[in-house]
Amino acid sequence: MERLKNLKNIWHVDLLVAMTEKEIKARYKGAIFGFLWLLLNPVMQMLVIGVVFRYVTKTPIENYFVFLFAGLLPWNFFSYSTVKNTPMIVNERYLIKKAYFPREILIYALILANLFHLVITVLIFGIVLLLFGLLKVSILLPVAILWLLLLTTGTSLFFATWNVQFRDINFFVQAIIPLWFYATPIVYLLSFVPDNLKLLFYINPMTGIVEMFRSSLLGVDVTMANGLWLSLFSSIVIIVLGLVSFLKKSPYFDDWI
Amino acid sequence: MKTNKMTIPTAVELINISKKYVVRHEKPTLVDQIFKKGRKKKFWALRNVNLIINKGERVGIVGRNGSGKTTLLKIVNGIARPTSGKVKTNGKVVSLIDLTAGFHPELTGEENIYLNAMLLKMDKKTTKKRFKAIIRFADIGSFIDAPLYTYSEGMKLRLGFSVAVHSNPDILILDEVMSVGDRDFQKKSFARIQEFYNRGKTIILTSHWESYIMENCDRVIWIDKGKIVMDGKTRSVLSKYKKSGSEWYIM
Repeated sequence: MERLKNLKNIWHVDLLVAMTEKEIKARYKGAIFGFLWLLLNPVMQMLVIGVVFRYVTKTPIENYFVFLFAGLLPWNFFSYSTVKNTPMIVNERYLIKKAYFPREILIYALILANLFHLVITVLIFGIVLLLFGLLKVSILLPVAILWLLLLTTGTSLFFATWNVQFRDINFFVQAIIPLWFYATPIVYLLSFVPDNLKLLFYINPMTGIVEMFRSSLLGVDVTMANGLWLSLFSSIVIIVLGLVSFLKKSPYFDDWI
Repeated sequence: MKTNKMTIPTAVELINISKKYVVRHEKPTLVDQIFKKGRKKKFWALRNVNLIINKGERVGIVGRNGSGKTTLLKIVNGIARPTSGKVKTNGKVVSLIDLTAGFHPELTGEENIYLNAMLLKMDKKTTKKRFKAIIRFADIGSFIDAPLYTYSEGMKLRLGFSVAVHSNPDILILDEVMSVGDRDFQKKSFARIQEFYNRGKTIILTSHWESYIMENCDRVIWIDKGKIVMDGKTRSVLSKYKKSGSEWYIM
């Protein structure tokens, strides 16, 4: 309750906005291509992965490059935010040890800055799709983005909190993120997965998000039906674990850094 | 104590505060945590501290290194949570422990002023209003639009100090802060702290400089091994503290 009251203070809102602006402004300072990196990054990924799966392993998926790009966008948001947020509390120790402010602002600011980038890339991608007549956007797109936002907040809070006491967490996250990528239907269709393994894929919260995100942009069918609820359920578990860990541990961050 | 509260408003009240730290020589790993659980050493930085600081008091805290001074200030400020006990603060607490903590090298002076001000509990509107005064006090001139990495160390410190004194705290915490910038700036900052006092603000400070405490405090609290040894008028506490063989830097 005390914490909820806290966020009502106007300077907390202003600080969150300022930190988000800082994150957006500072990221591409001194880079010649600047904001262009926003697009260059997923485009390069799309080209390399696309060429491999389209021409080397000859995937049967139609419009493969578009399919791939639509999956990479939510994935990049998730992985980039989680990887950067995990050591956030430790990296910002000089701030935390010297000033009193709600510590979650550091984590939310990074997520909001990435959300800003995601929205821009989705808009540009949407325009490209429109030009090629592939855009079939549905009302579920903002729902998918909200889900992605909440899950990323959960993983970020969870890993950032435990990394304060156990620095192994940072190595763990760096190790699992590339594996997690292949466990999520980004480069392949969920229907390729054998039936007896499907349950495991549904438990992965990113499966539901990527499927929903892609179908709401390209109008392809969500092939997981009830599996979506399983993804949603595991997302809620992660979000609750993240919040509870953070609320319990954050008053003692100063002791450990 | 109740009657006291009615006549003079309390700024800070610490009730039976204790703070325990786990001593670690290296950062803990998961393996350490699981297999060496029984080998953790505990250290009490503060033990059952009771303290009331009234509004408008200038309190100095003295004690050897590691006596618990900084922990005490961190608890007043909210940065650290006590293991047991209760903290009550009345009004905005701002700490000048490290003036440049909130700065970002790639952003301009102006952008940094806003960021730092908000870390010191100022909202955007207020910062905008005081923006000119902050620049004038810091005296950094046309550098305000340049990225912070082009600033000299002195300029950064002056900017940080300027933001902090313009944040208008009710309770100001100074942990070993006094030598910011050149002599002119020191005079200016000293005058500013005096002005705080004249406006009835509460000041809590620590220092290893005897004359600094003597000039700036009406009351001194002597802490040793996490406990209050003595609490009283500046002169009497300082003379006892000196007799105990504690070292001072002489100015």
